[in-house]
Amino acid sequence: MRRLFLKLVRRRNLHRDLEAEMEFHREMASVHGNAVPLGRISSLKEQSADLWRFAFLENLWRDIVYGVRGLRKNPALVFGAAVSLTLGIGANLALFSLAVEFLLSEPSVRDAHSVMSLRLGGNSNASHQVFEFLQASGIFADLVGDEPESFVNWNDGSETRPIFATFVTKNYFTSLGIPIAYGRGIEPRDSDEVVVFDYRFWRKNFNGDPDLIGRAINLEGKAYIVVGVLPASFRSLQGFGYSPDVYVPRYLDDTTLQMYARLKPGMTRDQTLPALRAVAARIDSVFPAPYKYTANISVRPLTTIEGMIDDPQGLTIGLFFALLLVVAGLVLLIACINVASLLLARASARRREIAVRLSLGAGRGRLLQQLLVESLLLCILGTGGGLILARAITASLERLQLPIPIPIHLRIDLDWRAAIYAAILTVAATVACGLLPAWQATKESIAPSLVRDRKMRLRRALVTGQVALSLVVLASGFLFLRNLFRASQISPGFDLRHTIRARVNLPAREYKEFKQVDSYARRGVRELEAMPGVDSAAAAFILPFNDNIMFVSAIKFPNAAEQQFVRYHWNVVTPDYFRAMGIPLLKGRSFLATDREGAKVVIVNRAFAESYLGGREPIGCIFTQGGFGGKMGVPLRIVGVVEGTKNETLGEGDLPQMYQPISQIENGDRRKLEFVVRSAIPPLEQLGAVRETLRRVEPNAGLEVSTLYSSIGFAILPSQVGAVLMGAIGLLGLVLASVGLYGIMAYSIARRTQEIGIRMALGAGRSAISKMVLGDAARLVLTGSAIGLAIAWFATQPLARFLVPGLKPGDPLGFVVVIAVLAATGLVASWGPLRRALSIDPASSLRYE
Amino acid sequence: MGTPNLLQGTLDLLILHSLQRGPLHGYAIAQTIHLLSDEVLKVEEGSLYPALYRLELDGAIKAKWGQSENNRRAKYYEITPKGRKALAAQGETWARLSGAVQRVLAR
Repeated sequence: MRRLFLKLVRRRNLHRDLEAEMEFHREMASVHGNAVPLGRISSLKEQSADLWRFAFLENLWRDIVYGVRGLRKNPALVFGAAVSLTLGIGANLALFSLAVEFLLSEPSVRDAHSVMSLRLGGNSNASHQVFEFLQASGIFADLVGDEPESFVNWNDGSETRPIFATFVTKNYFTSLGIPIAYGRGIEPRDSDEVVVFDYRFWRKNFNGDPDLIGRAINLEGKAYIVVGVLPASFRSLQGFGYSPDVYVPRYLDDTTLQMYARLKPGMTRDQTLPALRAVAARIDSVFPAPYKYTANISVRPLTTIEGMIDDPQGLTIGLFFALLLVVAGLVLLIACINVASLLLARASARRREIAVRLSLGAGRGRLLQQLLVESLLLCILGTGGGLILARAITASLERLQLPIPIPIHLRIDLDWRAAIYAAILTVAATVACGLLPAWQATKESIAPSLVRDRKMRLRRALVTGQVALSLVVLASGFLFLRNLFRASQISPGFDLRHTIRARVNLPAREYKEFKQVDSYARRGVRELEAMPGVDSAAAAFILPFNDNIMFVSAIKFPNAAEQQFVRYHWNVVTPDYFRAMGIPLLKGRSFLATDREGAKVVIVNRAFAESYLGGREPIGCIFTQGGFGGKMGVPLRIVGVVEGTKNETLGEGDLPQMYQPISQIENGDRRKLEFVVRSAIPPLEQLGAVRETLRRVEPNAGLEVSTLYSSIGFAILPSQVGAVLMGAIGLLGLVLASVGLYGIMAYSIARRTQEIGIRMALGAGRSAISKMVLGDAARLVLTGSAIGLAIAWFATQPLARFLVPGLKPGDPLGFVVVIAVLAATGLVASWGPLRRALSIDPASSLRYE
Repeated sequence: MGTPNLLQGTLDLLILHSLQRGPLHGYAIAQTIHLLSDEVLKVEEGSLYPALYRLELDGAIKAKWGQSENNRRAKYYEITPKGRKALAAQGETWARLSGAVQRVLAR
């Protein structure tokens, strides 16, 4: 404290004082006839003064002024470095913000960390009776419910169309503390006919008219009062940018609800679980259901990163972003190497200046600091540009309308986390760009010839390293570009455009026997097919991407000695399933209504026929199937072969599948069915009618109707988004690496102009010179490629998880293409400067130095 | 940071010692040390002033401007109580150290 005070008080007069004191010293010395100290006064002043001033800060300021002045004289260097760093840092920041949005963003509710998503009995939704029971139990501070993926019919005066609605309990807005831009949220005392608008919906359909608040619109044939509009920055509880058009109070009695609880103050989710189990046990005894509410209870936080532990899909997303950030970091490193080689070139141009300063007594540390300040300035410039670029990228991502029939709007903030990341990137980039050249420059005067030798080696090492890095980034980028190309051609194996799916949960008390389920399925299909605008309809146990049943069992052909083990996806369907789903029948026939009594029939997919039948003709092929106990079941006869479908991910290969007709299933305990309807009119318009029809067939069944596209859209989207992102970052890496390679090649050849001149003067032919220079370049590229290849081979292995089938990380084509690109870049980079060097008159090039 | 001819820290000790009998200006300090060491030690100003400034910052000495013997404005340094304490402690350390070195060399 005292020191700080002294410094503050005295620093002003410091120089004057010191000078006066010196003056006095000299005078005394000359009076007494002693030697008058000479020289080094300024360095002495600096030394003494250093102690008293805020030396570091003042030096820093001086370095900054000096650096700015120096850089202003070098616009080409500044431009090159700024562009490289802007691209590198901008891409990193944009990706980081995107990752933050996906992994860390919280829904726009008050104190989001105390809000948990609840599941009882493994079900995402619960009936309103269960909801109310749980609410009355008082184990949470608050309990709210919503049904996010619903529609309401909106009549805008000229036509009626379904819009995306989230049904909410009336305490939803008040309990969660959801922010409102205009008006207010829904309140518990409100009637059932009130509505809150999404900001975009309001802007798009009502031109953002604030007078709309308090007026009525027509929803479901009733007048709904508009009470409020959500803010533009609102993030829904569902996350991932899901933004339904309107929020309305739940109005149907059988709407099931997703439940969110606000924990009591001071409670953790683990502390809440026992109480929740106890309440669930009481619910079990009060509301008999086909499942136990006590089973599979989950209480999950709302942010992705916190929920990741429970959710493998969240883990994949997290892993993907981690990978993306690593690759983006490599791209930044390439950009930094570009800048480093520019600075290295500048350092050798400043050789004399630095040598003079060193010999005048400037400390090496001070010089190092000053050179680092220069690269810091460049990096700050790059970060500034990067922030602007990242803002532009995220803004266009926000505007992006995804080609899916779901309102998804990402809201990506460059917030304080991005600012911290930007600061970290700046420092890291400064060190990466500046440390090596600065270190090298300050060694300059010590042993010139030695250093020059080392410097050439260093520069060659830089080129090699950059080639290696480029290869890694290019290999991953290229892999994802190919992946994107392939993925855009991949179809899930069934039709997504014309299909509606309805999930039905039959009441187990009334459907005790599977025969009843079978007859319900036939009735449902018949009613659906009778609807106008319906081409075909079918029922199935499961639909791909929504669920899957995997079987491992033994099969045996009648005349084969051994049984063999098979593994396949299994499904049970009604006759028109393949037609409704648009799955091509390759051979034989589909199931018939008459496949009931008598021999059991199956339909297999192409992969099953190719892998397990041992070359037998599939149609008519008979085999028995059994468990590991050895007892084989009844014979199954293959009547048809169909094309395969994807089952869980778009990226998976063709896996064996087997279908059985629902009419031949005995003793099934399944009470859940999926209907699929192929519609001749746009599926969205048909949803209400399908819901009505199925509700009529079995009023007591739980029912969920959506387009097949929307129910699997989420399954497909990540791979598309991932491919686009990785492809883009790979492309950026390619551009930066090519520029860097070009620059570094051109520079190293330009430096050898003199050497080339000598060689030519000594009689070397042009072809010999060309061979020498190009051979040298080739050696660099090849060494770098070899190192990069080895790294890339291992580094790209984790990518396998994200790739479509048929594409492997070690894909040789990718490596060949990437090496060819690098070699071509190296060749082009060498060619221009080489020609210039060759055209120079040997004598003048010798005189040049 | 300069190249003192004296062992690091020894200069501080000598400065503090020479200030024990009263305030001195920089030149007088250098002369005192020179004379007291039988003209063996010669303190360069390049070492002296940084040391003085450092000691002042540490609070071991105080500085004020005054009149010199030839009526010139000069900066006088004065030892503080803290400086005396430091001198006592360092002097003892030095005695022990130099004694030890001598004992080693004597055998």
